[in-house]
Amino acid sequence: MAKPRGVVTTAGPTAPAAVNAPPKMELRGIAKTFSTRNGPVEALGRCDLAVRKGEFVTVVGPSGCGKSTLMTIAAGLDDPSEGEVLVDGAPAGRAGPRRSVVFQKFALFPSETVAQNIEFGLTVAGLPRPEREARLVEQLAIMNLEQFRNAYPHELSGGMQQRVAIARALVVRPEILLMDEPFGALDAQTRSVLQEEVSRLRRVMDYTVLFITHSVEEAVYLGDRVVVMSRRPGRIKKEIAVARDAAWRGGEIEAASDHADFNDARREVWELVREEIVRQ
Amino acid sequence: MPALAWGAGTLAALLAVWLVATSVTGLVPARVLPSPVAIVQRAVALVAAPFSGATLEGHALASLTRWAIGVACAIVVGIPFGILLAWLPPVRVAVGPVFELLRFIPPFAWVPIAVLWFGASTTTQALVVFIAAFPACVINAQLGVSQVDPILQRAAQVLGAGSLTTLRRVVVPVAAPSAFTGVRIAVSNGWMALVGAELIVGKQGLGFLISQGQNNDSVATIFVGIIAIGVLGAAIDVMLQRLQARLLPWTPALAQAR
Repeated sequence: MAKPRGVVTTAGPTAPAAVNAPPKMELRGIAKTFSTRNGPVEALGRCDLAVRKGEFVTVVGPSGCGKSTLMTIAAGLDDPSEGEVLVDGAPAGRAGPRRSVVFQKFALFPSETVAQNIEFGLTVAGLPRPEREARLVEQLAIMNLEQFRNAYPHELSGGMQQRVAIARALVVRPEILLMDEPFGALDAQTRSVLQEEVSRLRRVMDYTVLFITHSVEEAVYLGDRVVVMSRRPGRIKKEIAVARDAAWRGGEIEAASDHADFNDARREVWELVREEIVRQ
Repeated sequence: MPALAWGAGTLAALLAVWLVATSVTGLVPARVLPSPVAIVQRAVALVAAPFSGATLEGHALASLTRWAIGVACAIVVGIPFGILLAWLPPVRVAVGPVFELLRFIPPFAWVPIAVLWFGASTTTQALVVFIAAFPACVINAQLGVSQVDPILQRAAQVLGAGSLTTLRRVVVPVAAPSAFTGVRIAVSNGWMALVGAELIVGKQGLGFLISQGQNNDSVATIFVGIIAIGVLGAAIDVMLQRLQARLLPWTPALAQAR
């Protein structure tokens, strides 16, 4: 099969984004075994994954492949059974705002307003009020949330709530943003809009992302590099680089499928995922 | 507003039936159930002149004071205790079983020993109220904390919050509606236990007023006491609900009710 233009199908460090940059975050030989009532269950095999500064890496795999476990460990919210998580080459330690997380279930604090939710990490860090306010105002503007500043989460739609959660995770200026199927709980239209918004955000702010999803289309649309995981116990099956300057970048996700290179990449990733689903 | 009108309608209908059964037809003898008119007259008389040591409002104030002391202590001690039970597993392991054992002893079982310790005093009555109100505060605060979605704690953690900040800014506010429900239950349990305790021991209070009504063969006095107890209890609960709407404006159920 001839390589489609704009898509480089190599595993490893030849991705177009920040080719020579050292890894911002590195997962080295991560494995996880849970003990359950029916004995130990191996959720993750040995996974090696590096995310470079400024890179947007999407991880896609069949359900139950351990991709959420991978995220939890990357965030420092759970310890791996084996292996280690490094940030800038040093052990990452416990969870904290260097690696902020956007969860599938939004996880907004119900007793706090939109502004208080977004400011949470800043107040915890002890930032002085004027700077907090400045960062809050900036983030509200970026996410188009100004008019919801004083609303409580339950007064907002799911899409709006997830916008707030993204703002809350970005305002602390994390070194890497971890997103765990962030649009999985949203309806299809809202999901498309938010996918485009996250794609657009990259032109407004420079940020590094590890993004977990079960949607092949979403993985290809957003990722500079798509990491395909095998079935449980999850391992990294293949990494596929996607051109960061592809014509459909920053456009509507619906329009991306008008481009042959997008469809080729999507098909390639889908075949890899499909093999895992049908494999005995 | 229509809900309020329906409630008032039912109340008015009951009063009318009562009036017809007693004053109009005389089907029910005053010895069994006095007419509403007789009860209002008796209430006016009780407000005007002391009966068994105090006026009606004097008895009510005595009851309210003991009740407030007992309930306040139950809230101040019980809610933090319930939060600790849920938040710190060692506390649960160490103290939980003792609490489970003690809470099944009825408040009235403590009356004799309380009298021996403190005499027939405000302290005795307040202690009974405390014992009746305490478990509801503890259990509902504990329930509220244990029902907080763990993902909220994780969200706080990745934003840099330590254990205490997470407890203060996330867990306690989310548990607050459940704890507040506990307070409402505690308030009514305490009120009921107080009246019971006053029937057994005491020299003032609405429960005492009722028992004096019985001793003096005054059915109307008994009914004045019963109605005062019901009205005051309901009024306290309405005030608590208003307070909840003000203190916890983000509770979704409350927002819908507004």
